[in-house]
Amino acid sequence: MPEITGYAFPNDIHVHWSLMIVMYPYITGFVAGAFIVSALFHVFGREEFRPVARLAMATSLCFMAVATLPLNLHLGHPERSWLVMVTPNLSSAMAGFGMLYSTYLLILVLEVWFVWRQQIIESARRSRGWKRTFYAMLALGTYDTSPEAIAIDHRAATILAAIGLPGACMLHGYVGFIFGAIKANPWWSSPLMPVIFLLSAAVSGIALLTILYQVVAKLNRRVIEGRTVAALARWLWFFLILTVTLELLEIIMLAYEKSESWHIISQLLTTRLEFSFITIQMVVGSLIPFILLGVVVLMDRYLHDRVRNTLCIASSILLLLQVFSMRWNIVIGGQLLSKSFRGLRSPYSPEIFGREGILVAIALLIMPFVLLWLFNRVLPIFGDDKPHAAGGHEPPPVTAPVAGVHAG
Amino acid sequence: MEHARHVFRIALVLLVVITAIFLGRGFLVPRSYGTFGPYRADNVAEQMKIRPPAHAGAASCAPCHKAKSEAHDAGGHKAVSCEVCHAPLLRHVTNGTVSGKMPVDRSFTLCARCHRRIQGRPDKFPQVILEQHVTSKLEGAVCLDCHDPHSPKP
Repeated sequence: MPEITGYAFPNDIHVHWSLMIVMYPYITGFVAGAFIVSALFHVFGREEFRPVARLAMATSLCFMAVATLPLNLHLGHPERSWLVMVTPNLSSAMAGFGMLYSTYLLILVLEVWFVWRQQIIESARRSRGWKRTFYAMLALGTYDTSPEAIAIDHRAATILAAIGLPGACMLHGYVGFIFGAIKANPWWSSPLMPVIFLLSAAVSGIALLTILYQVVAKLNRRVIEGRTVAALARWLWFFLILTVTLELLEIIMLAYEKSESWHIISQLLTTRLEFSFITIQMVVGSLIPFILLGVVVLMDRYLHDRVRNTLCIASSILLLLQVFSMRWNIVIGGQLLSKSFRGLRSPYSPEIFGREGILVAIALLIMPFVLLWLFNRVLPIFGDDKPHAAGGHEPPPVTAPVAGVHAG
Repeated sequence: MEHARHVFRIALVLLVVITAIFLGRGFLVPRSYGTFGPYRADNVAEQMKIRPPAHAGAASCAPCHKAKSEAHDAGGHKAVSCEVCHAPLLRHVTNGTVSGKMPVDRSFTLCARCHRRIQGRPDKFPQVILEQHVTSKLEGAVCLDCHDPHSPKP
């Protein structure tokens, strides 16, 4: 039996947007967040991000590949999903997703091609048989790896990253727009929503890369670059502060205005969302990482590498949790208040086995990493560049993203 | 320019992909799409054809179930259609002849849908706090032990 509190409309007591609609912005957020990291290197020339730039781009692409799955799982009938592209209803905000998604996917694939082109050619030269045909097709039949051609690749990647950055921002800002533009729901309807979604996407992307970079480096027995981790921590701290400030500002505004919606939102936050909002999103997911990352950023020079890396991993895990709970509180929280604004609907707990259940959500989160592993098998992410020790004074090679030359 | 050959090739691939998308869209958009709005207009007639109406309304029960129907029309449930608790008519009658046993939903959850106390309901509407109202185990057709659904008394 549903548990309703207060004066809720009796014909409207269920939560319809399920766990999958929580997963959708969560996964899309990684796409945008990871791309921001790769853009920091490709567009803004932050050298400290060189070791993660290609990993970031590959991560972005792999999460992109599964970004539509939660929606398909929620709506059913995946065979109809292409219709949103062919016959979009332009008066519906949802139509925007198809267009933004495919445009951004095109840009991302092009950029990946330019960044990995040298490697594709190397692989084509090295392999035989069908493998050679495959790489030759990927290389589009041109094997030009002269410094001039590589310089062109570099420039193309920079231009594409510069176009892709607003693309990624629009893709994820748009996800926030879907919620922010629902004027009937005071917990969603806010122009801040796209901004908050975007900033928390940056948080989740950087947090994921902080973990992924260290794990991948450990697995490959490579040096974990201290300055890269420290730089990731700095940006993570910056975006964490921005996103939590805005998240809190929105609530403080509502609370101070004491508008009619505050009556129900205050109840929502202190009853239904007490654990997921106050405990997880604000304390465990924001305050603790804020302190941990603050230690890393402000006291970096006193920290041993291992201490810094561990602190970064710990706060990144908490931040991944924070962003997930933020998506949960927005998506599910927004559906818990009745349209009467005087009562709360029954709480939502996801099923375990169903199509929109917890196991599927876990599978969705694992899938991008499997894709990343496959990607790495086809187009090695770290290439053949030597693990250069921190502080090495080797001049950076002409191919900025593809560090080093094939060492044999 | 000599070293930019791969850029021209990828640009060509891009051009082919984009052209294929636009040409493909031309073929894929259904002919009647957009006649009345952003949907395929022919679909309306198609859906009507493949889905014969299943519900027929309370009046369609009266010819065969006169007594029950009169009791229902005089009782407190007169505004509740027969097909709310019984299945749609099509499950029971096809082309004017009885084609199957009529399923009935006797569960207490169906009664609770309207009669469970919720502050949002009008005060005069009969509603109960289930856990206090039912002293025996809250399961199955427990409400029907005391109440006649065709002509319920509070």
